[in-house]
Parts: sequence; structure tokens; C-alpha cells
Amino acid sequence: MRRTKLTALAAFAAVLAAAPVAGAQRARFDTRVFARIPPPGFPAMAYVHPNGRVYAGTYVNPAGSGSRSRVFEYDGDGTLMRSWTVPGQELSKDHGVQVATSDARGRLVLLDRSPARALLLNTAKGTFARYATFADLKPCLPLQAGTDCSPTLEDREPMANYGAWGPDGSLYVSDYLQGVVWRVPPGGGAAQVWLSDRRLDGSEFGTTGLALAADRRTLLIGQGSSAGLGEPNPATGKIYAIEIRPDGSPGGMRKLWESRPTDLPDGFGVARSGKLYVPLAGTANQIAVVAADGTELERFPDAPGGGNNESAIPFDTPSSARFLGTRLIVANQSFTGNRDNQALLDVEVSERGLRELIPGRDTSRPRLSRVSLSPKRVRAGSHRRVRVRFTLSERSRVSIRVERRGRRHWADANGFSQRRAAGPRSLPVSTRGLRRGRYRVVLRAEDRAHNRSRHVVMRLRVT
Amino acid sequence: MNHLDLSRRELLGAGAAAGASVLARPAVADAARHRRRRPARRSADVVVIGAGLAGLTAARELMRDDRSVVLLEARNRVGGRVLNKPIGGGEHTEAGGTFAGPTQNHILDMARELGVGTFPTYNTGDNVYFADGTRMTYSDSGPTGTAPPDPTLLPDLTTVVTRLDEMSKDVPVDAPWEAGSAGDWDGQTLEQWIQANSVSPRFKALVPAATRPIFGAEPREISLLFTLFYIAASGDEQNAGTFERNFNTRDGAQMFRFVGGSHQIAARLAHRLGSRVKLGTPVRRIERVHGGARVVSKHHVIRARRVIVAVPPALARRIHYAPALPADRRALAREMPQGTLLKVTAVYDRPFWRDAGLNGTAVSLNGPVNACFDDSPPDGSPGVLFGFVGGDEARRYRSQSKADRRAAVLKNFADYFGQAALNARRFFDTDWPGARWSRGGPVGIARPGLLLAHGRALRDPVGPIHWAGTETSNYWNGYMDGAVRSGIRAAREVIDEL
Repeated sequence: MRRTKLTALAAFAAVLAAAPVAGAQRARFDTRVFARIPPPGFPAMAYVHPNGRVYAGTYVNPAGSGSRSRVFEYDGDGTLMRSWTVPGQELSKDHGVQVATSDARGRLVLLDRSPARALLLNTAKGTFARYATFADLKPCLPLQAGTDCSPTLEDREPMANYGAWGPDGSLYVSDYLQGVVWRVPPGGGAAQVWLSDRRLDGSEFGTTGLALAADRRTLLIGQGSSAGLGEPNPATGKIYAIEIRPDGSPGGMRKLWESRPTDLPDGFGVARSGKLYVPLAGTANQIAVVAADGTELERFPDAPGGGNNESAIPFDTPSSARFLGTRLIVANQSFTGNRDNQALLDVEVSERGLRELIPGRDTSRPRLSRVSLSPKRVRAGSHRRVRVRFTLSERSRVSIRVERRGRRHWADANGFSQRRAAGPRSLPVSTRGLRRGRYRVVLRAEDRAHNRSRHVVMRLRVT
Repeated sequence: MNHLDLSRRELLGAGAAAGASVLARPAVADAARHRRRRPARRSADVVVIGAGLAGLTAARELMRDDRSVVLLEARNRVGGRVLNKPIGGGEHTEAGGTFAGPTQNHILDMARELGVGTFPTYNTGDNVYFADGTRMTYSDSGPTGTAPPDPTLLPDLTTVVTRLDEMSKDVPVDAPWEAGSAGDWDGQTLEQWIQANSVSPRFKALVPAATRPIFGAEPREISLLFTLFYIAASGDEQNAGTFERNFNTRDGAQMFRFVGGSHQIAARLAHRLGSRVKLGTPVRRIERVHGGARVVSKHHVIRARRVIVAVPPALARRIHYAPALPADRRALAREMPQGTLLKVTAVYDRPFWRDAGLNGTAVSLNGPVNACFDDSPPDGSPGVLFGFVGGDEARRYRSQSKADRRAAVLKNFADYFGQAALNARRFFDTDWPGARWSRGGPVGIARPGLLLAHGRALRDPVGPIHWAGTETSNYWNGYMDGAVRSGIRAAREVIDEL
């Protein structure tokens, strides 16, 4: 008895000793290479889709490129799954795409540089459709104010940069060069100037990140510089907060945070805590952490400039940060053209991101209730069918898996799926070919939006 | 020559991996019963065609996602181009895919998950380089790795490998045809480029000695773009591909082997899939119908919402499609043959070459065997050498008598490792080009112009039909890792659509 206890204790101790290794937590700011971006490179943004995959477009090559832009799809572990080539670009001009967000149907929203447009990419079918266009605005005349001109000092082309959905289904899009925030009406079409402000004139380094805050009515807007002289210090970047009023019009814009000179803050990620993780694409090559009240809390890495994050690839023009679980996926654009640094980096930050608002997206799971199996015991070789009865909360595909109990685990014996409407339903399950033994019947429902019910497990005996 | 599409008796007699045998028996018996019946009609979410590693992986992913799936395999075994052959004493040698290496995490993870262990390829001692009657030994820890440090070819070797590595960085692994210089690179063969960029005749003779085992082809048969893509693909998302990682044993693609043989992975996957796997069921026809497809074989007519064709393009074209596939896809399948590669195996009482401080790896300019490796079990008993016979050497070799083939191979081994190599206890070769359900190996090869013109058709689904197989993989194309990757990718594509 005593020996048994000691053995058990030793085994328990061994498990305890092994536990930290098995479930090893990554240290905050531990950085790894998520994936190198294949040519044509220059990833400016990585978008984390609600489906858990990461999408990155290839952006402008400042040295010029005749290659069409690409969109890459990565699994959550960084495995390259698929890619698509963007059609209809003007290859003689600067061209590139950013995957800004996704819509209720899961399609990707791409912001294209040339022509200035938003595209919807249906990843299942590989098809592209135009969603919005962005106009080339003339600079506003002195004393002219309004929604059909650009507040910038110089006449610049449109450059749709980041996007975020508003609560009413509008898509808000920052314009890097024209000093405005666009609003694309629900359903798409020509974008309208929603906000025009001299503080958004950054000359060459303009309006960047855009995100809806946790209150779902405040837009956070990143600004690379104020080189257009809308602010006292032209060299610093800013993050502004602006309310979307109930009637959809912009409220007053207030400065939430100001960076150090030449930091060039870019596409930031918002944590559930309200903290902002702001990649600094300028000379700093750091990630700044900014509290919800605008206080700068810390920077990673500590020293600006070299971007040394202790991974195989340093931060080199880090241009966007989005949450994947407790990790930040940072797009390393390497604007100077070091293709070895053009990659997505995975930075552990030990907190989760704010769930993105995607209007109209079905996030409710189907429910299975009143589930029963009859009969629960059949004879082997009887070829009898058993019937599974259940009530579905919404139209779903119901999958049934029959598993046989083995020595170590349950082994699949049979399985199929059928679509069923909401309400009380039933499905027959064949027992043909089942040997004697203990079985379990596992039931699950999945709706059109790929939301899944919980598994329901019932026992079946074949004698 | 061993025929790879084994009969039931051959399969059981050969004692292929236990799991496979267990699976094969009821399936073959099923097939016999079905011969007297009309084809069974049934439906499934997905039909997967081809029970190689790609198809098995795809089916496993679908099963895990609660999709109903049927896996149809023409042979009476699973594994495709992965095959164990018994060598006595309960030991096996691999007649197909054998190795894994760094950055091949998909196949290594799968093996781990299935309880198949790995062990390092025997690499203690020197490599052998044999050229025109001269034998040289060298360590692969030098700057050239597995490639021979022959002073007459070293300058060209260094320059060419560096340039190929550098050029390959401009090739997107997911779409080589989108490379900036794709037009130029796909307009020439590797041989043309080598002729223009090297001077040493011996180096030019070494290049085929590399392409034969890697592609089963001569440098004149493959496009430069395809070669660059293959190099770019010899890595993963975190590590850029290099020629060295592809070619080397140390820190390269030949670094690890699987305990019990690589076929264990396929057999165990099939075991988990259970009755979903239907052996001896060649698919004859795929009809695209409203809402999915109808897959017709001799014994089954299966209505499915999606189909994954997990066989090489050259085999996929042997299926009848209604309506016909798009012209791009048809052209791709027509113009992408499998490489011409055989594996030859000699079994000895013990690995005698190790006594002489050799690791069993040889690179030779003189065929038929241009590259060989120590394929002994982990405990070194018995001693096994296997060699690759590819390209023109394979075409010549296949036309010889069995005795001549044996003599030629053992003479090669004797040249590399000493006269003891002539006393093989057992010798066999594995003729992949003659295998009805493989048509060659290790991979489909792209001649000039193919990738640029039809490369997109490799993975683009056609209605409900999706494509898997190592030929469709972005990384480790042509390897077991690529097959697993492609299976996962195809399954995700399908799951997105269901």
C-alpha cells in the first residue's frame, strides 16, 4: 500500500514537473517569425479573420514593380494555405492592396492603391467584386470647407489605407494622402467624405490606422505625421478619437496620444483592455503600448531604431498590428526593400484583442435540444436502423458520427451529415456493419455562417 | 522488376505494414463481393480520390470536421508513392518516399501524432564521390555539404548554387508564374541556363547526377523556373528555401527516417479512417451535377457535394470528366508527366561500409545509380543500401534484363563502397514509371512554358472538384511534407465551401 502511494506520489510529482514544459507560456513580447511573405512582398497589413486565418496583401514596392499584387492566406500557425492575384490593377502606377476587414459573409475587403477602390474577395470562389471607389479630391480653396475637397496643402491622389465598420454597416476608410476619412454606404458604392480635417494632412506620411473603440461609437484614427501643418509639431504622429453621432455625422475630434518625432505610428490593434498596440513604422521600429486614456505605457523593444525583437527578423517598418488570440500579428513592410525582412511577425502580448464589429455577421450558434436515440441497443448483423430525434433552433447541417469504443480511444465507425430545417427533426443511422461493442453517437449542428452547436453524445450498444 | 500494383496475394505475402494489410483484407473481399453486384449507390459530403498521403490527410481533416467522406483508392493498398517492402527479420525498407528533414514539420508532426518515431539517417563518416573511375571521400560537414568538393568543379558549384538560391528568392512558392522574370526563366531549360552560366565540363556532368534523383529527369527536361520554384519550396513559411536544404543530409531533406518505414504513417492514417477507405476502386468518371458531383467507379456511384482529386496530374487525366475540364487544366495534365525514377535496393548481412568509415551516401557521375544512401534499420541490421536511378539512366536501365540490372547496380555500389557490395543477400528494384497507378515519380515535372501557361490550373478548383497531391503544394513540392500540406489545404478549401 505504502509502495503504491509512493509510486503514485512520484508519478504526480513527475506530472507536476512536466507541466510547465507542456503548457509553457510565452513571455510577453516574445517574438517569432509567423511567415515570410513571398514576392512581390511589402506586406503593409495582416488581417485576422473571424475564421482564425490571417490574410496579408502585398503593397507598394517603392522601386516599382510590374507584378500584380497578391493576397496570401495563412492558417493560425503560419502555414501558407492559398493565395489570389488581384485583377485590374494599374501596374504602371504604384499599386498594392491591404486586407482591411471582412464582411458579414466572410468575404475579404481589400483596399487597392491603383485604382483607388475597395474590392470584395470571395475566398471560397476566388472571385473579386468592386465594393467602393474613392475619388481624387481637389485641395480645398481658402475658406472653402465641405465634403468635396481635400484639406491638404498639396494636391494628392487618393490612397485608401485602413478600414473599419461602423455600427450601421457603413465602412469607414482612412485616406493616407488626402486628409479625409471616407464613409462607404452600407452595400457599397462611391465613398463619401465623412471627415475632412487639416490635422489629417500628413503630406507624405498621412492618415493611417482606423479602428472602432470598445464603445462601438468612437473611431480611433492614426496619423503618421502632421507635415501638412495642421498641428503644432509636424514631426510627431497622433492618434485621434472621434465620435460617430447617432445620425452618423462626426463629432468633435480629440487628440488621444502623440508619438515622438519621426515615429510614424501606423495601423494599430485594440486590446479588450482598451490598450492600443501601435507599430511605429518610422525611425523607431518599435511597438508602443498606449493606455485607453492615451498614456503611453511602454515600448517594445526598449531601444528605438534597430527593431531588435530577438527573433530571426527585426522590426523593419512595422506597419500594422492585429490580434490573433493573445498574439499580435505584425506586418513588417521593410519599406527600404530588404526582402529578407518582409514578413509577418508573431508577438506574444498576453492579452486578447477587442472583437471586431462586423455588422450583420451571424455569431449565434445553432442549438440542439430534446435529443434522443431509439433504440439504444441493437443486435449485430440485424441491419436495423436507429433513429436520432432532435430539435433544431435554426436551419443547419446536422452531422452524426458513430464511434466505437476501443482500448484507448473512440474510433470512427460511421458518419454522415444532412441539412435540416428548424424544428423537431429526426435522422436514421444505419447499424449495418457494426460489430458488437459499445458505441457513441455524436451529434452536432452547423449553420450557414459556420457557427456550430455543442456536441451531443448518446450511447449505443451493439450486442 | 517489382510491380507496384500488388495483387492481394502479393500484398499479404509482402507483409506490407500491418495496418495496411488489416485494411486490405476486408476491402479486397468487399471488392470480390461487389463484382457480382451493381455498383452501390450512396452519398457523402466529400469523395477523396487517391489514398496517398495527400488523400489520407484530406480525408482525416474532413473527418475531424464532422464531414462524411469516402476515400477511393485504385490500388489494393494505401500510401501511393510511399511503400514499405519487407527485407526479412520483420524489417522493412522504403521503396518510395523515405526521408524527412528540417522545415518539413507537417509530415514530422503527423508522424508524431500517429506514434511513428523518427531516427537520424546514418551519417557518421565520409561521403563518396565517384567520377570517371576516380573515387574520393569527403565529409559532408564541409562548405559544399552533400555536393562533392571536387576542385575541378568547385568554382562553378559555388557560383551556380549561390545564384540559383538568390534567384529562387524572387519566385513566389504559391505562384511561380507570377515571378518578375517568369517569362525569361520558363522559356529555357535548366540545361540551357547551366550551359550559359558555368564552364567546367565536370560540373556540367554533375548537374544531371543531381536532377536524376531529385526530379527523375534530365536538366534538358525541366524548366529553369520549375527548378527555381523547387529550390524556393525547399523551406517553409519561416525559412527561405535553399538548394542546400533540398540536397543535403545534414540539416537537409534527407536528415531523418521513420521507425518502421514511412508507410507506417499512411497505414495508421488509413486505420483511423476505417471503412471510409475503399481499396481496389479506381475511379472512372466524375460528373459535375447540380449541387456537386457524381463519382463513378466499378463498385460505387457516389453523389458528393465536393470531390478532392489527390493524385498526380498525369494520373488525374486518366479519369473521364463530364463535362470536360477547362482547357488549362487539360493541358496541364497532358504536359506534366511524372519523373522517371526507380529505387534500387541491396540488402547485406551488415552495413560493411560503416567499417571503412563511410556513411553510405554516394554521389556519382557514372550510372545507373547517381546517388545512394544507407537505408539500414536503426540498429544497422541488416545493412541496406538504396540508390536512385533516374532520367536517361532509368530509361536505359528499364530496358535491361533483371540480371544485367542487378549487376550494374552492384558494380556501382562496389565502386563506391568496395567489393563486398557485390555480395548482396538480396536485391530488388522498384519501378515507379511502370506502376500503373503512379506512372513515375518522385514528382510531376514542368517543362519550359508549362508553369507560365497553365500553372494556375494546378490548384484552381473546377466547380466542385478540388486538387491535392504533392504536385500542388507550395512548400516541399514533390515530398511527403508537400503531400500532407496539400491535403490540409484541399480539405480547408472544401470545408469553406460546404
